[in-house]
Amino acid sequence: MKFYICIKQVPDVNAPLQIKEGQLLQDTDRMILNAYDASAVEEALVLSEKHDGEVEVVLIGPDKAKETLRKALAMGADKGTHIVTEDESYDSAVYSKILTAFFNDKEYDYIFCGKQAQDTDSGLTGGMLAMQLDLPYTTNAVGMEFENGSILVKRQGDAGQEMISVPSPGLVTCSNDMNEPRIPSLKGIMQSKRKPVDTISTGDLGLSEDDLAVRTQILSFEEKPEREAGRKFEGEPDEVAREVAKLLDEEAGVL
Amino acid sequence: MSSLLTFISVNDGKIKRSSLEVLSRCREEAERLGLDNEAVVVAPDASNYSEQLSGYGVSKVYVVEDPIFKNPLNTPLLKALDAVIEKAAPRVVAFASTEGSKDILGALSASRNVPALPDVSSFEVTDSGVSGKRPVMAAKILSSVEAKGDTVLVSVRSGSYDLTESSSEPEVETIDFSVSEEEIKVVLKEILSASGDRVDLSEAEVVVAAGRGVRDEEGREMISELASVLNAGIGASRALTESGAYDPSLQIGQTGKVVSPQLYIGIGISGAIQHVAGIMNSKVIVAINKDPDAPIFDIADYGIVGDLYKVLPPFIEEIKKLKVS
Amino acid sequence: MDEKFDCIIVGGGVAGLAAAMTLARKNLKFLLIEKGEFAGAKNVSGGVLWGEDLAKLVPDYWEEEDGGWERFINHRRLTFLDEGSSFSVDFKSQHFNETPYTGVVVLRSKFDRWLAGKVEEAIAESDYAMDSFVAPNILVEEILMEGDKAVGIRAGEEKFYADSVILAEGVNNLLTRQVGLQDSYVPADHMLTGVKEVIRFDQKVLEDRFQLNGLSGMSNEFVGYATRGIEGGGFLYTNRDTLSIGLVLGLKDLREKGSPDKKLTPYDILNDFKNHPAIADTIRGGEVVEYSAHIVSSGDKRVIPEKLYKAGLLVCGEAANLLMNAGKAIQGMDYAIRSGILAAENIVQAKEKNDFSEARMKAYQDELEKSYIMKDINNFQDAVHMLHDPLMYQKVPNLINHFGRQFFSISNRPTRKAREMMRESVKEHASWWELVKLGIKGARSL
Ligand SMILES: Cc1cc2nc3c(=O)[nH]c(=O)nc-3n(C[C@H](O)[C@H](O)[C@H](O)COP(=O)(O)OP(=O)(O)OC[C@H]3O[C@@H](n4cnc5c(N)ncnc54)[C@H](O)[C@@H]3O)c2cc1C
Ligand SMILES: Cc1cc2nc3c(=O)[nH]c(=O)nc-3n(C[C@H](O)[C@H](O)[C@H](O)COP(=O)(O)OP(=O)(O)OC[C@H]3O[C@@H](n4cnc5c(N)ncnc54)[C@H](O)[C@@H]3O)c2cc1C
Ligand SMILES: Nc1ncnc2c1ncn2[C@@H]1O[C@H](COP(=O)(O)O)[C@@H](O)[C@H]1O
Repeated sequence: MKFYICIKQVPDVNAPLQIKEGQLLQDTDRMILNAYDASAVEEALVLSEKHDGEVEVVLIGPDKAKETLRKALAMGADKGTHIVTEDESYDSAVYSKILTAFFNDKEYDYIFCGKQAQDTDSGLTGGMLAMQLDLPYTTNAVGMEFENGSILVKRQGDAGQEMISVPSPGLVTCSNDMNEPRIPSLKGIMQSKRKPVDTISTGDLGLSEDDLAVRTQILSFEEKPEREAGRKFEGEPDEVAREVAKLLDEEAGVL
Repeated sequence: MSSLLTFISVNDGKIKRSSLEVLSRCREEAERLGLDNEAVVVAPDASNYSEQLSGYGVSKVYVVEDPIFKNPLNTPLLKALDAVIEKAAPRVVAFASTEGSKDILGALSASRNVPALPDVSSFEVTDSGVSGKRPVMAAKILSSVEAKGDTVLVSVRSGSYDLTESSSEPEVETIDFSVSEEEIKVVLKEILSASGDRVDLSEAEVVVAAGRGVRDEEGREMISELASVLNAGIGASRALTESGAYDPSLQIGQTGKVVSPQLYIGIGISGAIQHVAGIMNSKVIVAINKDPDAPIFDIADYGIVGDLYKVLPPFIEEIKKLKVS
Repeated sequence: MDEKFDCIIVGGGVAGLAAAMTLARKNLKFLLIEKGEFAGAKNVSGGVLWGEDLAKLVPDYWEEEDGGWERFINHRRLTFLDEGSSFSVDFKSQHFNETPYTGVVVLRSKFDRWLAGKVEEAIAESDYAMDSFVAPNILVEEILMEGDKAVGIRAGEEKFYADSVILAEGVNNLLTRQVGLQDSYVPADHMLTGVKEVIRFDQKVLEDRFQLNGLSGMSNEFVGYATRGIEGGGFLYTNRDTLSIGLVLGLKDLREKGSPDKKLTPYDILNDFKNHPAIADTIRGGEVVEYSAHIVSSGDKRVIPEKLYKAGLLVCGEAANLLMNAGKAIQGMDYAIRSGILAAENIVQAKEKNDFSEARMKAYQDELEKSYIMKDINNFQDAVHMLHDPLMYQKVPNLINHFGRQFFSISNRPTRKAREMMRESVKEHASWWELVKLGIKGARSL
């Protein structure tokens, strides 16, 4: 059983941010493994531990993203591929194109993606990749198990959950509601240094500049229209509760 | 003349409010630019909805009808939309951002080879495509984005636009559709539906959301009672969907749903950015939390600092009184 | 890979990273373990890293436009506050513009991460590129001992062994206590709590307001009303486009004077400090982007463990309570770096002779005694005590400002001589006798 997990390095959304002249700056420059991808890695590790599988990770990103690749290896993935690009303007479509080129000559049972990247919240790459590789797929997985050679995915839909069986080879995008990704152990961290990592370029995949032209673009960033902190009511629970209830009726008019 | 095409999501024989919001926006844009405002319904009973759509200034409704659409499967839906887009050649295909549309947006974008702007909070049609704003970084900031293409897919966060009505006599065009067993490679085994979700969260006018502070059955009962007094949808933070206290479908936030009620009441919720990402479109935010420094107070219009177990009973009682009078 | 390490370093703060850098350069095989998600994650403190030792770790660090540091200090100010006035001693010098700088302002989460990156680079160039590690997100729970010798560490279920252990765990030195080098009950009353905010500005506004030029920066220490009569002091440092502003407050005094009913939390005091007219004017228009609190040693020699070593084990940085706060600056990071280097050098020598005995480890403490660290700590103990004298943080600032108000006011009345004004100020705020005592103490201590 062979799994490939697509992982992305993203800025930590919890770190302080600032916008300068429309550009987004991070004070700490702190980058992390996309939480949804971490869940995908975790799920693949659990499945492959149970069913004797192999887990490879693939990451597209700048040179400094290799620490994120290491993190996935430290969690337990067996091998990594780092497709190095320094271009930060790529959108999901371009990433999915690069991944398509990468997977074209690969053998695998399942590709897992995160349901979305935590920073852009796009959630497009998985579906694009499945379509381009002509794979059956499902999205927003919150649970998985093996059943008769296929993966049975529990996915979160709008109203409820659906159990969908995805045959191999197939693709699944993962929610972080699926599991609690493991924190690498010391042994894991040590072993990760010796695990094989292929470092390649988009050129190695036969892609040209034209292939990588974006059609969607971020033009600038701006602060969200500030939501003013309103009033805080402290005191006797009975009194404040009644006071706020009245205000909701009389002042806000939302009752 | 080309058009803007809105994908209409239906649930239980009703059009989702969020789709009508998108449709309202598309009508505005269509009028501004002199384009046709069209809609597409893909459902087992798709033709039943044209009547409802006539209130929103739609000139044409594409109808794709097949029993298979009763099931949430992506392949048939992709095939249906592919056929409609081929036919309508619209400038924009607009969706309400739901788990259903998220399931297909990427694949559709790839199969049609057109760009997509997911989860925008506003958009406008331009000469070269679409420009818009999207919340990013767990909705902490807004990005201005632009997509270039003859057709652009857009999905819109619920609550971004108001419903505006305008009557019309839409022409109905039925698109032939069939899909074979072999084409659908995934198998839907079972649908597990949400428990006790009386009101659809993303449509709810009032949302009562419970967080980790609601620690037992007694607390959950208070939540239910408040929700029933307010005729509200119940939501929860990840802390409580994860623990199993609430159904995962009720999770609000970055991983869960975006809600856009008139009134959101967060109870025992700290206000982590990933939760707040899902409530920013609420008109009025009320927070009940015993920690005066809880971040949710930074965005709450009315913040009650106190133990929810002490605050809720009089709160519920007072609301009952006000509702009666 | 399963063989043991030459050294395991506990803690990825400045002390641990300095030790790691030294070991990597000297080709030793080591493991550095940091409990935060990354080096610096938990070290939200920060301020001025004094002295030139950073250049020992990262030569020519100033060449890096966007390195881990914020600004170099060429402008220093010491301010005495009373309720409504401020009296400052201000010094600015071109000499401080030259490299190596003698002080750089840092923001720890960024600085430590950057330094950890440099350590990784050094590892990659060492003989143990594959066998030395910086491992974040792991908590060391126990030092493994064989008799009286440290032989490794335990983290969760995992045990790792080494010839030596360097404890660089910072002021909350649980492991140092565990191995019996520090009494568990001593320090509390010799501890201070530090609170700090980072306030952001438009970079140009900040540079204009503080007359910054390029990457030059200012440090400002405060005595007096800053702490509302509680033992301690305040500070303000300029970063690239933010200010670090904060207070250090005596825990004991805070407990006594900030009793629960008075609700005087460090945060409240910081807010008052920020509202002082002298501060309010400098931080106007800024946006608070970070708040943090951290314990800090008082610099009192009595809290430094008598012994900083054991067979196979050394303690450095603030884990050893190496810190100096004698009013003109807080020195903790430079001590951490120097002691980390000294500890690592000692391990290198021990490795050469394959001798990790207690006697061999003692050489580290001897080196430390000979270094500026212990010399300063010994020489300035009186200054430290003086700073912690209520006279110093209450009466003197009031007196100075009282005098200042009279000296600098010009009214249409006959002006008195300064000496007369001084006498009145003293009468108002202290006795001559107290001042004489303080003067003698001060003269001796500096
Ligand atoms: C990638 C990612 C995606 C995520 N997506 C989501 C998401 O979609 N939705 C989501 O909700 N979270 C999400 N999270 C998790 C999120 O970060 C928080 O962990 C979560 O929202 C916390 O839930 P909470 O506020 O209920 O719990 P806590 O943060 O534990 O807060 C509990 C609050 O209850 C208060 N309280 C306790 N007892 C009482 C009492 N008796 N009376 C009054 N108040 C009381 C406490 O003061 C506290 O503020 C996500 C996290 C990640 C990393
Ligand atoms: C508000 C404030 C302002 C200050 N201003 C200045 C200043 O201007 N100039 C100055 O020189 N100094 C200043 N200091 C003091 C300075 O921050 C410290 O002296 C210095 O950080 C000590 O460095 P260290 O490496 O010894 O410890 P730390 O920087 O505290 O590092 C210890 C590290 O060990 C890790 N750790 C602890 N226990 C374990 C464990 N069991 N397992 C794994 N990892 C562990 C911690 O996570 C931490 O990263 C200030 C302190 C405060 C609180
Ligand atoms: N640069 C990348 N490298 C590897 N995988 C990626 C990259 N970008 C996106 N992905 C995958 O696609 C998922 C969704 O990304 P997005 O469409 O950007 O929201 C992520 O969770 C990853 O699994």
